[in-house]
Amino acid sequence: MDERPASPTLTILASLAFVFLLAPVVIVLPLSFSGDAFMAFPPQSWSARWYAAIFSHARLIEAFFVSLGLAATVTALSLMIALPATYALVRLRPPGAEAMFSLFTAPLLLPTIVLGLAILIVFAGLGLLGTWRGLLLAHLVVCTPYALRVLATSLANLPADVEQAAATLGARPATVFRRVTLPLMLPGVAATGALCFLVSFDETVLSLFMTGPRISTLPVEMFHHVESRADPLVAAVSVLLVGFTLLVVVLVDRSLGLGKAFLKGG
Amino acid sequence: MAGATSADAAGEGFLSLRGLTKRYGGFAAVDDLSLDIGKGELVAFLGPSGCGKTTSLRMIAGLIEASAGRIAVDGRDLTHVPTYERDMGMVFQSYALFPHMSVAGNLAFGLEMRKLARAEIERRVREALALVHLEALGDRKPAQLSGGQQQRVALARALVIRPSILLLDEPLSNLDAKLRDDMRAEIRDIQTRLKATTIFVTHDQMEALTMCDRVAVMNRGRLEQLGTPEDLYERPASAFVATFVGRINRIEATAEGDVVRLGGEALRAARSAHGPVELMVRPHRIEMSAGAAAPPQAQDGPRNMLSGRVARSVFAGDLQHYEVEAAGRLLSVERSTVSHEPPLRPGEAVTLSWRVADTFMFERAS
Repeated sequence: MDERPASPTLTILASLAFVFLLAPVVIVLPLSFSGDAFMAFPPQSWSARWYAAIFSHARLIEAFFVSLGLAATVTALSLMIALPATYALVRLRPPGAEAMFSLFTAPLLLPTIVLGLAILIVFAGLGLLGTWRGLLLAHLVVCTPYALRVLATSLANLPADVEQAAATLGARPATVFRRVTLPLMLPGVAATGALCFLVSFDETVLSLFMTGPRISTLPVEMFHHVESRADPLVAAVSVLLVGFTLLVVVLVDRSLGLGKAFLKGG
Repeated sequence: MAGATSADAAGEGFLSLRGLTKRYGGFAAVDDLSLDIGKGELVAFLGPSGCGKTTSLRMIAGLIEASAGRIAVDGRDLTHVPTYERDMGMVFQSYALFPHMSVAGNLAFGLEMRKLARAEIERRVREALALVHLEALGDRKPAQLSGGQQQRVALARALVIRPSILLLDEPLSNLDAKLRDDMRAEIRDIQTRLKATTIFVTHDQMEALTMCDRVAVMNRGRLEQLGTPEDLYERPASAFVATFVGRINRIEATAEGDVVRLGGEALRAARSAHGPVELMVRPHRIEMSAGAAAPPQAQDGPRNMLSGRVARSVFAGDLQHYEVEAAGRLLSVERSTVSHEPPLRPGEAVTLSWRVADTFMFERAS
């Protein structure tokens, strides 16, 4: 994968960027093993009590499973919507394809707070606030444009004549898609899936508008927790989340190669 | 399938194009193309880029929809038949191999689409690999092959389905010169052995002339001439064909019947015309002798003569290139170096002569 060695300047710059990005994570790790009742750095005593506390915190555990189920469903639905849409817009090119593509990916340009407010107003009238269905729809609005964007790049990078070659050899359009297009898009599909999953799992601002006493997601629960208490519980949850995110990324990397999935496919 | 309607009975070729046209808005990429190709023939579509040759090929393959006209193979109208039912093998300029399949997988694809038995597929894949001398590479992925090997796989993949027509879209343009020569001979050899009716799209006149039974010269979407390589070279139908195929001298003049006056001298052409014309003659058909004396009249018909003066002389191995100033113009003349005569030097007075039969005349827009 490495075609040429990086220059020393680039190495230093990249290292600085890494330190900047990872510093909060590095602070959170010792904090999570604090034995104190309040968040303070450096901790006065050490203990794993806040990890244990997570598992007795029923609302957090419940919210984690809501987030997990939500992210998985949103990912599956986003792919199911975006794959055919991408194929139609990029390959079949109906009149106005570019305008439609811009329209469908427009939510990417909107601040989520604006989106959240707009969805709040619409959903309030429909009785969707504080429901799983409402959360799902709101997350789809954010994730599907990402999926469309990444998949469109992935498909546009596939040379059309490979698909045409399959057609000349006697393959019907559905067979061409199943045996040629889709396998070649797989790295892009995996990257899209991982991206959608993480965007949904991590989404806070939009979820704040949609959640209520009946249903809540993990980031929203963490936010509420930090608002009311200052104990290191959230640090422990954060460390677990970092581990979980890494797991998702490593899984994609192991199955397809991350560079391939995100650079070539995405 | 179309056994009852024999193509020959209808007076059409095995592949028949009638009035084939592709318009993009007001622009005709291919304009009223009609031609017939016989079974087992290798025909080149030759022309500069943008002449419509690739668009024509893609219409035949069904990859581009025709705006008008008819495409038929063996009497069966294919104009509105989708690509996957046309039974044509195509080699793309980029080869378009399936990168996620092995070489054998690439070859098997078309056979799987035809729902052949596993054993039959394996047998035919082996045969096809042997045909292009890649027996040992069936398990490789396309990315692990050289350009020439990928080209062979693309050819084998198109041939293994035993298509009714083989379509080659600039198949040699991505190979280096040496490999191109080898593949040229190999494609012609395989094509002849399999008697595959083949269309070969190229912008390279050498490729078209040396490989193909007949050549269709295209320009600006229109067919300029369809003929054997000799036809194009010896009897070009238009000024475009004369200038595109081989090197040629172009002399602008005004014709009165079959006589053209140039300075003080009169030249004749094989046909007659009135008004502004271009006279054309190939550099190696011009004989040149030193001095102002007229050369002895040859036995092969009437000749044109011009006296002139050598302006430049360039040695090019098998040929000596001259530029000769005659009747106020510069004419190219080529002489074989086989005779070991000392070359003529710049400034020397010479007499040029060539057969009237070798003098092409085309009207020119005034």
